[in-house]
Amino acid sequence: MEIEVQLTNEPISEKISPPRLAAHGAWLEFRGAVRDEENGEKISGLEYEAYPEMAVREIRRILESLAVTHPCLAAKVIHRVGIIPVGEAAIYVGIASRHRAEAIALLGEFMNQLKQSVPIWKRRGLPVEVAVGRVTPCAPVEAQFAASGGQRTARPTLKTLDEAMAEINSRCQPLPAVRMSLADAFGHVLRETVCATEDLPPCDRSTRDGYAIRADDSAKTFSIVDTLHAADWIPRQLKNGDAVRVATGASLPCSGLRVVMQENVERNGNQIRIVRRETATNISFRGEDLRAGEPVLQAGTKLDAGALALLATAGNANPHVSPRLRVVHFTTGDEIIPPDQTPKPGQIRDSNSFLIRGLLQSFPCEVTQKHLPENFEQAKLLVSAFSLQPSAFDLLLVSGGASVGEKDFTRPLLEWLGFEIVFCQINLRPGRPLIFGTNGSRVAFGLPGNPLSHFVCFHFAIAAALAGLTGAEPQKFLRGQLAYKLNDEPCPRETLWPAKLEIGPDATARLHPLAWANSGNVACLAAANALVRVPANTGPLAQFAGVDFLPLAAMLGAA
Amino acid sequence: MRVLFFAQLKDVTGCDAMELAPPSPLNREQFWAMLLEKFPGLREHRRNVRLTRNWEYADAEAQFTNTDEVALIPPVSGG
Repeated sequence: MEIEVQLTNEPISEKISPPRLAAHGAWLEFRGAVRDEENGEKISGLEYEAYPEMAVREIRRILESLAVTHPCLAAKVIHRVGIIPVGEAAIYVGIASRHRAEAIALLGEFMNQLKQSVPIWKRRGLPVEVAVGRVTPCAPVEAQFAASGGQRTARPTLKTLDEAMAEINSRCQPLPAVRMSLADAFGHVLRETVCATEDLPPCDRSTRDGYAIRADDSAKTFSIVDTLHAADWIPRQLKNGDAVRVATGASLPCSGLRVVMQENVERNGNQIRIVRRETATNISFRGEDLRAGEPVLQAGTKLDAGALALLATAGNANPHVSPRLRVVHFTTGDEIIPPDQTPKPGQIRDSNSFLIRGLLQSFPCEVTQKHLPENFEQAKLLVSAFSLQPSAFDLLLVSGGASVGEKDFTRPLLEWLGFEIVFCQINLRPGRPLIFGTNGSRVAFGLPGNPLSHFVCFHFAIAAALAGLTGAEPQKFLRGQLAYKLNDEPCPRETLWPAKLEIGPDATARLHPLAWANSGNVACLAAANALVRVPANTGPLAQFAGVDFLPLAAMLGAA
Repeated sequence: MRVLFFAQLKDVTGCDAMELAPPSPLNREQFWAMLLEKFPGLREHRRNVRLTRNWEYADAEAQFTNTDEVALIPPVSGG
């Protein structure tokens, strides 16, 4: 049976099309609407609450189990949450089957089971004095789950992925550039547009070992009048019948020549005879690669091997580049032990230190790592002893402690260090409790403790901050195609799904979605080189579906 | 371990989520003991509350570990 499940904050559409199935003879629809009274009180609306991740799974589980005894073809369930005015639908169920009997039986049984086990609650009735219209703004589903610090406080608004990236891009500005020798500049971001100071090549050059003759000389035999090696520069005019022996790369003695490959001549002493005429000139002409004054590399280019070679060719030995960044990384949590120790119950090995250190390898930086005790006061003492002056680092990362449990002190720690918190929640899976703060030009992130959350947050958030601080182009989502079906339940959070990117035979970017169960899943990290963007409330994506994806920084070599 | 509270249980605990870091996996009884120590007000609801572990109802033998998401589900009323 084809199953589609959605939770939504929006009104359920009045018109929902049945699935296109040739075999179905029945399409049964049910809408459960909000009545005008609840527990004997007149109301104007009802507020529904859900445990979205589980509600979607549970609805699907019920349908799958009922399909065994009531064979139907397709089912679509939409449950609305938030505030629903009287008269509007809270639930929609559509069932397609061959004949009506099995659809009616399945619907009745489904509604019974839904009311027993699906984690959705009528939270409260709204008294009639409260006008509830269709336009009443209601908090996003996820905002209902935004943690509140263990106390009843206003729930923070969740940033969307786009909003979070826009905040990072606008707040992370390039640090002052420095001059650096080419030998040290690999991986740094060029901060000036470099132009060629002279033509390249600076004069006409032979691309073959052979004999230079006048281009208009139709003679068959020639006298060798000179020999030129790659480093020679001996100008002279050639007459008809003259040939100059040239090596590959040799500067030609004058213009208006062509080079005959040595394979195409017979040499006899000081004489050559051309045995085969070529059409090619075998010359690399002056300025063919670069003209003097022409831009060689644009500001914002990350200097890879080829770019360094080009700068060297253009004579720029000390380019103006982004400085080496200073990164401080704190891990937190008393349950963390070094990887060479055997965890006791409740302990886990520290993988995040190595993950972060490895991910930062693509960016020139000095990384200092420290583990902080779980007690906030002790942590502050250690940070003080470590004399963490704001001038001593550009980027501060704190692993774990980003949630709102009583031992989660990342946010207070950042505030204590003078950071302004820009956001502390994103409507994203995995990585929701990501914290981002700034203090002058300095940037800090509090990363949710799970390795997969680290991985995802690094690639969209920290990489964006590094691009901003170094003056590189901000990273962009690209368009690709799913190699396989992406099997997901509709989730009210947007998802960055780990995937393996391959280039298909037709040169399209093919993305293989990787299996991951929850944000603690480490197994898929070693294979992932891209993140596929799954919009909120989407559900499974078919094979070959077009998707947006973020290629990972290390893969592109781009900041 | 992330513990989630829903509906009227949020009114009891005053929060909708919290982190617990038990030193070792907990069975149902140990989980409740840890929770009731923090929120004695949950005691009267316990009879009607079902526990979930990673988005599925937990069975009687379930062990709750540090990486789990555990939710307290009071009687549901969807539809």
